[in-house]
Amino acid sequence: MAPYDPNGIGAGRPFMGPSLSHLFGTDNLGRDLFSRVLFGGRISILIAIASTVIALLVGTLWGVTAGIQRGWVDEFLMRTADATMAIPQILFALIALAALGASPISLPIVVGLLLSPTTARMARSAVITELESDYIVAAKASGFKSTQIILREMFPNIAPQLLVQLSINAAAAIMLEASLSFIGLGIQPPSASWGTLMLQGYSFIWNTTWYVLFPALAVSATILAFNSYGERLRVTLDPKRVHP
Amino acid sequence: MRKTPIQVAHVSDVSLTYKSKSVAVQALDGVSFELRAGETLALVGESGSGKTTAARALLGLEIPQSGTINILGRDLGDLKAEEVRLLRRQIQVVQQDPFSQLNRRHSVERIVSGPLIAFNIGDKESRREQVTKLLNAVGLESAHLQRRPHELSGGQCQRVAIARALAVEPKILVLDEAVSALDVSVRAQVLNLLKDLQRERGLAYLFITHDLGVANYMADEIAVMFRGNIVERGNREDIFKNPRHHYTIDLLSSVPLVTAARSKDVKREVRALPNVNLSDSCRYRTRCPIGSHQEKCHSTPLSISSGSQTHTWRCHFPGDRED
Amino acid sequence: MKTGLKVKNLSISVPAAGRRVAVVDDISFEIPAGKKIGLVGESGSGKSLTALALMRLVKYPVHIDGGEILFAEKDVLALNMKEFRKIRGSEIAMIYQDPMSALNPIMRVGDQIIESICLRSDINRKEARQVAIKLLDSVGIPEPDKRVDSYPFEMSGGMLQRVVIAIALSGEPQILIADEATTALDVTTQERVLTLLEKIAAERGLSVLLITHDLGVAAQFCDEIMVMYAGKIVEQGTVDQIFFSPTHPYTKALLESRCDYTIDVTKPIKSIAGQPPRSDNRPSGCVFSTRCEFAQDQCHHGVPDLVPVHNRLTACFRAKELFAPGESI
Repeated sequence: MAPYDPNGIGAGRPFMGPSLSHLFGTDNLGRDLFSRVLFGGRISILIAIASTVIALLVGTLWGVTAGIQRGWVDEFLMRTADATMAIPQILFALIALAALGASPISLPIVVGLLLSPTTARMARSAVITELESDYIVAAKASGFKSTQIILREMFPNIAPQLLVQLSINAAAAIMLEASLSFIGLGIQPPSASWGTLMLQGYSFIWNTTWYVLFPALAVSATILAFNSYGERLRVTLDPKRVHP
Repeated sequence: MRKTPIQVAHVSDVSLTYKSKSVAVQALDGVSFELRAGETLALVGESGSGKTTAARALLGLEIPQSGTINILGRDLGDLKAEEVRLLRRQIQVVQQDPFSQLNRRHSVERIVSGPLIAFNIGDKESRREQVTKLLNAVGLESAHLQRRPHELSGGQCQRVAIARALAVEPKILVLDEAVSALDVSVRAQVLNLLKDLQRERGLAYLFITHDLGVANYMADEIAVMFRGNIVERGNREDIFKNPRHHYTIDLLSSVPLVTAARSKDVKREVRALPNVNLSDSCRYRTRCPIGSHQEKCHSTPLSISSGSQTHTWRCHFPGDRED
Repeated sequence: MKTGLKVKNLSISVPAAGRRVAVVDDISFEIPAGKKIGLVGESGSGKSLTALALMRLVKYPVHIDGGEILFAEKDVLALNMKEFRKIRGSEIAMIYQDPMSALNPIMRVGDQIIESICLRSDINRKEARQVAIKLLDSVGIPEPDKRVDSYPFEMSGGMLQRVVIAIALSGEPQILIADEATTALDVTTQERVLTLLEKIAAERGLSVLLITHDLGVAAQFCDEIMVMYAGKIVEQGTVDQIFFSPTHPYTKALLESRCDYTIDVTKPIKSIAGQPPRSDNRPSGCVFSTRCEFAQDQCHHGVPDLVPVHNRLTACFRAKELFAPGESI
């Protein structure tokens, strides 16, 4: 899809502004920025998706267990979530990545773990609300066992909220990856994600602003897109939308 | 010669207290009643009477601190959780809110076949057949099979709930304010349906309601509850023509009727009802026109009096009103 | 001079499946000064929306399409909001079904009444508090001087509804609208609250519009009744006329389908086939024609007007022929 090889040095003169042949201009080595942003995007988005999936799995298990068990299990799990959210994200990432080493495997795990407490809280409150409902009483009276009630009856009713959370987490993941890579904790060169592109572009900011601007715009646009999609999804999936 | 109806459930001297954060609420205090095949017992009461708690205890959803609950010869207190679950095949429930008691993400077919799946009855084919038969029995059609609850009216949802409750052919049906949320004209349809189903299938109904009209129409026996006690019990004649407990009398006179001519001379109370004092011997004492002036009602424990084989009450000065 | 309310050709619509659908369809009625009028109907009849329209509380996407609401000869719908706010809450007040949600849970009940009083007059808080205590007493709350400092969660449903009534009365209204105001209350509490409303209405010469689905409540409390079905008023008359000699098939059927403890238990209850139509699914012709046991061809093709029949108003082509004057059901 990219018009040029993202690593092709000398495709154009260095620090050219946007033009018809180079939509986003070129970088310090004359490489086409548009192609670099596209390829960077692939990495950023893949990392974001992986993080989101991890956040969803961990967060859902966390929140659902708390919501079903209640009592001290709930207390313990939720206080842990609070504690995790209280740690500054960059600090957490720094320690975790120092321990695990920054790689395309460790990064999604770290970002996913950072995002899971919010998912956990949301899952927990969704579970608690549903379990108080009449149809759960009806399911119990119908003779279902507890596991069946959770999977067959309850889960379809919290799924919409989880899906929406997926979209919102994706937006946050993009942001986190970009931030971490920007400070050098994330994707390492020669691979380039939007964050690393922004880091490189930043070092040349006195030569040209385009180098840092376009990856940043790409990050913003993607976050906006994920958030809007999440909102639309929330509205579409609400079964009460039908007016009598 | 009327056959003696078979007893299918027996609740005996059950007391149940809810413990919430700081307050303990005694929802049931020494409550006893029986259910018989083909007959309806109505538990009538207002908010705080304990009637819903009694229903939940019978369904095994709440565990009483004392007393026994016996369903088809088996004592719930003796059973393990799995045994209680299996017993649920014999006793089903229809709740008040037509929409929220159905899973909004499931189709009508999936909802009604729930109990069949829970108890592993039949296969997909036979279950669909059974569900269609059940829907017809409650006045719905196979066109409704794939609908979702929000596409149906309140009355239709309630019929789906009834169909679901009948799926495993229980002996007992608990109806917890099952018609209270329905429009007047729809209520009539559902009550007629319930009566027909009872006649056809010999079901025992425990009908929880605050509505005396519904109790009168459906019930063979009526138990009036106030703050966790059954204060009076009897058949229609007993309760509506010859009420003895003052709460029953007050309840009957409070119900606004279309046909009753309003006597302008009767002095009606305007002030708010006084608080109930649960430490008194008779819980109705503070609100009772007689009991609030009587020392006996404050100090002496109550015992059961009866006027006939069907009619019993607990009151020191039953039916004793000047007006 | 006490005035009543006159409603003319009120229509309210909602969006449904891409178009606008009339939920209240061209209704006209009067609430004369000092009278208690009942608006009776089932769900979907449009009775609650009518009440909201009188207070101009109808919110997007529900829309008042047309009509006039005349209070003291002025059309309330035509006033600008600033002028109308002088009327809303003071001249015309409303009480609702759920007292718990009508009151602010984190404010003492006394303060909520005082807030309402101070909004409308210049008295200081100390005096307003005395007025509030008097109001609480007049609505039958025991120990009003202590209760004035209670929070809503400390009070029962019946007491809270009395507080709501007190707030409504603080503006010294001429017209009180009660929308299912006793539906959520126990029957013993309901009786007392209704008696209280009667007493207050009589003492202050209030007009009351009581909206309810409960025929017994309407029969006991009201002087006149309007029966609504699917957005239209189908019959209108005195309590005796409506409940003892109805001239509309729906009114008749509604009365026959009720279940109070005086009915004959040996027979099935005579119910109306089908269910009330949804607003986007109303029949052409007479709104009741699809469920009416007396429906004929003309009923499916024309819409009957609300016309005088046997001394009251009925919207039915066959009313005169089906119902003899003064006939009981």
